[in-house]
Amino acid sequence: MKTDNWHLKLKTTYGALALALFSFVIISGILLAIPFNVEKPYNSISTMVVMNPWASYIRNFHYWSSQFFLIFSLLHLYDHYHKKSQIGLKKGMAFRLSLGVLIIFLAMLTGFLLKGDADSIQARQILFTLSERIPLFGNLIAFSLLGKEGSYQLIYVHHIATFTVFIAIIIIEHSKKFWPKAGDFVMVFLGLAVLSYLFTAPLHDNLNPSVKGPWYFVGFQEILHWLSHPEWSLMLILFLLLLVYITNTEKGKAMFFSKRTLLVLTGVYLILTLIGLFFRGENWQWENPGQSNYNYNVLSNFKTERVDFFPDFTQKQLLETPTVLGRKESCLVCHNNAHGFVQSHNPETIGCFSCHGGNPFATDKEQAHHNMRLIPGNMDNAAQSCGTAQCHPNITQRVPTSLMDNLSGMISVDRYVFGEQDSPNTITEVSQLGHSAADEHLKNLCIRCHLGNPKTETGPVTEASRGGGCLACHLTYQPNALHAWEKHKKISSDTAYLQQHAEISLNVTSNHCFGCHSRSARISTSYEGWTETLMDAKKMPDSSNYRLIEGSRVFKYAGQDVHHKLRMECIDCHNSYELMGDGTRYAHEEDQENVQCIDCHFSGKPDLTAAKNLDDESAKIAALRFGNVEGREMLTTHKKNHPLINTWYKDDTAFLITKNTKKVFAMKAPAAVCTRGEAHKDVSCSACHSGWAPTCIGCHNSYDPNEEGYNMLTNKMQKGSWVEYTGTYQAQLPSLGMRITKDKKEVIPVIPGMILSIDKSNFTKRKHDSLLFRRLFAPIAPHTTTAEGRSCKSCHNNPDALGYGSGTLTYMIKGGKGIWKFDPYYANSQHDNLPEDAWIGFLQTRTGMVSTRTNVKPFTVKEQQKILLVGACLTCHNANSKVMKESLIDFQKVLKIRSPKCILPDWHRE
Amino acid sequence: MEKHSRRKFLQLGAAGIGLGMAFLWDKLTLRNNHILSQKQHTFPFNKNKEVTFLHDYIIVNKDGKTEVFSSHCTHLGCVINKEENGRLVCPCHGSRYNLEGVPVKGPAYKPLEKFTATISKDGDHINIKS
Repeated sequence: MKTDNWHLKLKTTYGALALALFSFVIISGILLAIPFNVEKPYNSISTMVVMNPWASYIRNFHYWSSQFFLIFSLLHLYDHYHKKSQIGLKKGMAFRLSLGVLIIFLAMLTGFLLKGDADSIQARQILFTLSERIPLFGNLIAFSLLGKEGSYQLIYVHHIATFTVFIAIIIIEHSKKFWPKAGDFVMVFLGLAVLSYLFTAPLHDNLNPSVKGPWYFVGFQEILHWLSHPEWSLMLILFLLLLVYITNTEKGKAMFFSKRTLLVLTGVYLILTLIGLFFRGENWQWENPGQSNYNYNVLSNFKTERVDFFPDFTQKQLLETPTVLGRKESCLVCHNNAHGFVQSHNPETIGCFSCHGGNPFATDKEQAHHNMRLIPGNMDNAAQSCGTAQCHPNITQRVPTSLMDNLSGMISVDRYVFGEQDSPNTITEVSQLGHSAADEHLKNLCIRCHLGNPKTETGPVTEASRGGGCLACHLTYQPNALHAWEKHKKISSDTAYLQQHAEISLNVTSNHCFGCHSRSARISTSYEGWTETLMDAKKMPDSSNYRLIEGSRVFKYAGQDVHHKLRMECIDCHNSYELMGDGTRYAHEEDQENVQCIDCHFSGKPDLTAAKNLDDESAKIAALRFGNVEGREMLTTHKKNHPLINTWYKDDTAFLITKNTKKVFAMKAPAAVCTRGEAHKDVSCSACHSGWAPTCIGCHNSYDPNEEGYNMLTNKMQKGSWVEYTGTYQAQLPSLGMRITKDKKEVIPVIPGMILSIDKSNFTKRKHDSLLFRRLFAPIAPHTTTAEGRSCKSCHNNPDALGYGSGTLTYMIKGGKGIWKFDPYYANSQHDNLPEDAWIGFLQTRTGMVSTRTNVKPFTVKEQQKILLVGACLTCHNANSKVMKESLIDFQKVLKIRSPKCILPDWHRE
Repeated sequence: MEKHSRRKFLQLGAAGIGLGMAFLWDKLTLRNNHILSQKQHTFPFNKNKEVTFLHDYIIVNKDGKTEVFSSHCTHLGCVINKEENGRLVCPCHGSRYNLEGVPVKGPAYKPLEKFTATISKDGDHINIKS
């Protein structure tokens, strides 16, 4: 009763307001037709938004008047149904009014399509397909409604004439009114004037992958999402129109039923609309508020700015900027003279917005920089910057599969060592780190080095840099940019750096890798010849044999890699699929790595691929680096058959060109000793050709609840931290072990990577958590390659190589029997009674948890005996002697014809 | 009798106008539509790129075979313009197709339309008939 009184007082069904709104739709539509270009709708709208505030204002006026016209028309309908027990229209009028509801929606939809943006293009496809599926006349209707593909002419005609005229006729026919009341007119004008000033009508930036229809359509989009046969939705529309018609004409139960059904369906539709608006994102996937990228994927449609009638730039300035991706981008007015880009990243081609986000349609600095990414390319925004559909989507999808991003191997091995998982091979990623002892240990000491660790400050990549997504490798400050940036750091008001943009390119140098890879296995420092010491930085001798890294780490020269001597850089061997992932998640780095020594240093004929057969990514990189490579026959990797784009094979010689400096080298085949006979067929190149490897023994880890530590995941300080007490650092020839895979057994270099103790008791606060002791060796690719391999004795007569640890290994002949004897340098450990640096006991072996891999093991006793048997020969015979060379071909034959003076070891020890 | 004839005349007249309009409509749209639907386009071709998105087509090179699909999702015609982990993804309602054009996730259930294509002798161009 109260409601009825309220209605009597108000005496409106909102029809008058709808009429007033319709008048403004017409007036603003006529005005909007002046700046609007139907041949280039997106370009013309973006131009008016950024360049012509009055045109933008009129567009907003048109938009808001039409949206509210729709709302008030529906309210008008609802109010009639609500207020009156029956409508009782004549059938003809009822039919036209019911049809009018559909026509209003079509007028609105055609307006939406006339934006010509990404949303509109897909909405047009949907509308076309749905119309096409109307039985019998589908094609006819679809074409009559939307016209030729790519042309907006017919849509425009329907929008401004066909549908508008029809709406005008039915308004006048059923209301008998031409003009709204002055009061309604003024009230509506004022409301629209404010709204149009405050909220600019939506325009898709054409980069955001989330595609949605207009707000009144997203409920329908949600329905379509659930229908495999979306043509059934046409029946739903027909059913709704029928309900409107029945409600308008019928009486009694039929009318009541129709009204109630309409009410229920409207309620359901409202819920679906809310779902479509607030819970659907890219690819119409469900997204919850609070999810990462929710704002970008879901709320981007609501991103709107007020109209700025006094833009920061003139129309002339904007007109002089290039059209970028089919639109005008106002960023380029201010940032119009930036240098330093490679051609493919030239802002005249891709604009600023593609990488930095913000608002490309802004008219002042504040608007433009709202939600801007100062540093694009971090992994949390890579998909929205470097990885948008137009740029490098396949790469940014692949990078998370790279161990440089997910750190699966590092995490799994650490958990394995801490006794938290049974295998070091479990595939995991940084985001799955929890709060266990191992995970906290990783957070405190290890995981700054992953691509997902964001770069938060501008500036070049240095030896202190960690992470940074795409920029970790692809950011280069050329001298001009560096100078300008340094100047800005000193004098913040100096903005010359804005004109000197850093380069994002393929110019990836070893310095980019150095920050992370000078840690852990330290391959970057080793490659350059430096081994870490425990020396205090203040006590570092003033000598070229010493180098200070990151201000506190003292390194001593131990001999550089032969490839470094030739000025080769990391990327001269390692390719894009190794570094940025190849789409497969691997447990360990050696599984992800693809390039092996034998790919370049081969004997016989290599595996080749013609340049014309390069995969697209390799072909693009080859073209960017080397120009025309047509006709080249390139080497491919043995492991995964990937092309090595900086190599070619000609006249029985393989050549390599360095990627950055363009130096050409002819590549050498392996030495005769490597391939002679079958003696060393199971020995990897690096087992012999590694000059040295860094080792560390006697490390202890414990948790100190009072230690001020650093959480490398959150990049914040925290109280309570794992602390590592390092033992001894050394640079020595690596030990050797066996990698056993299903395809082969291979002798590889290993180091005492984890001979350590872990005290978890302070972390778990459980007394029964006794001290963990591990004696694990780790496989290593030392990156200290020497042209000449290590000597025969350095393997066959060397206790370190065999895994016994350092000490004296002597071959003695006593009483006609050959005996090997080992005196260790280090005392036996209290934990397992083995020398501190040993992997195994002398002429013993270990099984179970022996290395950081499940497929890497120490030599078996039999294998040790085989090695030491040759070692016994080497005690008398020179490694280059004829007999030793012959032994490489047929050792058994040489043994058979040996002199009686040759006493072989007797393995039956007392 | 007279009344009946007039009604019949009006009915016939209305039917005639209706037919005339339908004829005109057909001439203005369907014929045009029919001609437009006959497409034959030549594009630069890269046999080493696994997936290439053109406006109306998706060219897939896999296992030494080249196939051309319509880029329009069979659900509602939206333009598919991206590949995610070996799947062609429709941005409108999330349908996913494998690189053979077969849907692996709905709402689409029909495979992408396949077109005949010929590759030029030098391998640099592809001619697509649709």
